[in-house]
Amino acid sequence: MNESLALIVEDDADLNEVFRQALAAAGFATESVYDGRTALEFLEKIAPSIVILDLHLPFVSGETILKKIHSTPSLENVRVVITTADAAAAEFLRDQADLVLVKPISYIQLRDLTKRLNPVLQTDKFKTTPRAE
Amino acid sequence: MLSSNKPTTISRFLDVPVSDPEDARRRRLLNVILAGAFVSSVAVLLTSIVFTGLGWITLTRQEGIILIGSAAAVIVGSSIIYIVNRRVSGTLASGLFLSLLMLVLPFADTTHELVNGRSLFLFVIPIFISAALLGSAASFIFYLLSAAEMTILALIIGEPPNTIAIVTIFILALLSWLSARSLEQALRELRTINIDLDRRVEDRTRELSEALARELIEAGKNQAILEGIADGVIVFDTQGKSIVANPSLSRLLEIPAPDLLGTTLENILQVGKAAPQDRGTILGMLHQPQKDMPSVRFRWGDRTLLVNAALVKTDLGDAIGTVAVFRDFTREAEVEQMKNTFVAMVSHELRTPLNAILGFAEMIREAVYGPITARQAGVMERIENSSRRLLSLVSDLLDQAQIEAGRMKIHIAEFQVSDLMDSLRVALDKQAAEKGLTLTTKIEPGMPSVALGDFNRLQQILLNLGGNAVKFTESGGVTVRIYRVDERYWGFDVTDTGPGISAEARGYIFESFRQVEDVVIREHGGIGLGLAIVKSLVELMGGQILLASEVGKGATFTVTFPFEPSKEKTK
Repeated sequence: MNESLALIVEDDADLNEVFRQALAAAGFATESVYDGRTALEFLEKIAPSIVILDLHLPFVSGETILKKIHSTPSLENVRVVITTADAAAAEFLRDQADLVLVKPISYIQLRDLTKRLNPVLQTDKFKTTPRAE
Repeated sequence: MLSSNKPTTISRFLDVPVSDPEDARRRRLLNVILAGAFVSSVAVLLTSIVFTGLGWITLTRQEGIILIGSAAAVIVGSSIIYIVNRRVSGTLASGLFLSLLMLVLPFADTTHELVNGRSLFLFVIPIFISAALLGSAASFIFYLLSAAEMTILALIIGEPPNTIAIVTIFILALLSWLSARSLEQALRELRTINIDLDRRVEDRTRELSEALARELIEAGKNQAILEGIADGVIVFDTQGKSIVANPSLSRLLEIPAPDLLGTTLENILQVGKAAPQDRGTILGMLHQPQKDMPSVRFRWGDRTLLVNAALVKTDLGDAIGTVAVFRDFTREAEVEQMKNTFVAMVSHELRTPLNAILGFAEMIREAVYGPITARQAGVMERIENSSRRLLSLVSDLLDQAQIEAGRMKIHIAEFQVSDLMDSLRVALDKQAAEKGLTLTTKIEPGMPSVALGDFNRLQQILLNLGGNAVKFTESGGVTVRIYRVDERYWGFDVTDTGPGISAEARGYIFESFRQVEDVVIREHGGIGLGLAIVKSLVELMGGQILLASEVGKGATFTVTFPFEPSKEKTK
């Protein structure tokens, strides 16, 4: 398991960038993908420590990816943050993810919440400062 | 006309078809007399020949000539007069007949017997007949003629006129005149009555046939409307049996028309493809129809139908049955579905770029892209605030569209009451502090720590009311209390020390797209959907919202909910 790697799955490029920045600021190394199929391919090779998962995705839906994560032993320890615009869907998935966030999602909110989920920050007392790219 | 007796051969022979009933009567009478004269002349002639042949009577040559001549004259004369009577004129024929009678009279017996003896009575005959045939007055004319003939005959044989007989016959003529007159009068009256009766019968018949025609047209029109209407119409009697069903209903339900009559709605729904829960709703509506009841929408195979019911009442208000109207709603349901999908998609598509704008603005302010000045940070905050407002407007529009489409779903689950209050504080603490307002939140003792409800929607309601309170209050504070009302209900109050809401505004404040005043819109933004959505959401969860306010003294919104809401409800 690659510690402190965050996979951002979001089809909107700008929003993907916002999420990536928030995760980077939370101390994660980040990897962005823009569709469900690429996300699945990535997850077959690498187990990140956290996945930021949109539900509406091209090719393969977020729900399918969520099932894949839950059914794959190597992905057992992956933290999942679901992002969705649909509050009702969020309610249904509350039990299946570490966090369910309803869009609009604030950069600051995401940064602060995911910081708590960062295994590196929880185990180490060192605090990495978010850096601008 | 009333008389409809089939004429016999005899009456066809005697009747003369003329329009004047009086004339017809006279001509018929004359025909009867002519027939009598004809038959009796023939009889006299035959009898005389037979008796003479047998030697029972003996006639002199002169007597024989007279007898045969008279009989032949009567036979020929009456035949001619009969033809005249039928073809030409009753009066002329009567005149001819009476003249013939007068001519024949002197030969009926010996002159002596005629003037002074056994045949004196014969002179009475023309008088009576004339009264009957030519009118009552004619009896006097023929009296004069008879009297003259008697006198002439008497003078011929050298005897004095029979004065006593002349006077007696006058009395008879007078009697004849009187009786003919009264008969005429009676007949006239009878005829008047008959004419009146005929007219009445005619009028009544015409009225009846007109009414019948009207009825037929009316019934035909109603039938045509019922058959032409695109909606399916079925009428049930008070026993719940169907008595009328139009062709559209048969098409709509795909049930043959005969199967729709004389049956109950239960049976029809059983035959068809209605889902069990829809069946219950429809039956319930039909058993207790109310005018303002909303239509019930249900799936019927691959179609969506709409049904409405109403009582059929007489003019006196007695219910005599129920009418149900079915409508094909498939197309509308599809359009509605498309509209909802569209609204959901648009709002989602709007939200994503807005979320990105918000995120980038936050990042700039957080100096992710390098240090910025305080002024620049202020501008970024404005961008963020505007973006958030835009986002909440989009959310409101989506909510409103869903509520209107009846697609707003409520998901009931257990939640922590303190979470509700915490989320409010997180959202409003800063805003209140910036305006110098106090924000007091209190969960009253007695309120359970866990309750049932749709947490997201409750949060939305509380945030909307609390946000409004902070927005409209310039000094003082906002107090939010969550408490238990009784065993069955809990609720919350949001009280502010703002400007208050006028009685007039309290009447429409929960309507869509309404705000208290234009000024408020300019100052505070928003499109007036917030409270309408709040009210809809509260009602969806089986709750109630009340507003108490007085201008200048702030406002209190009170919301109450049942502890046991129905598990899932769709408006």
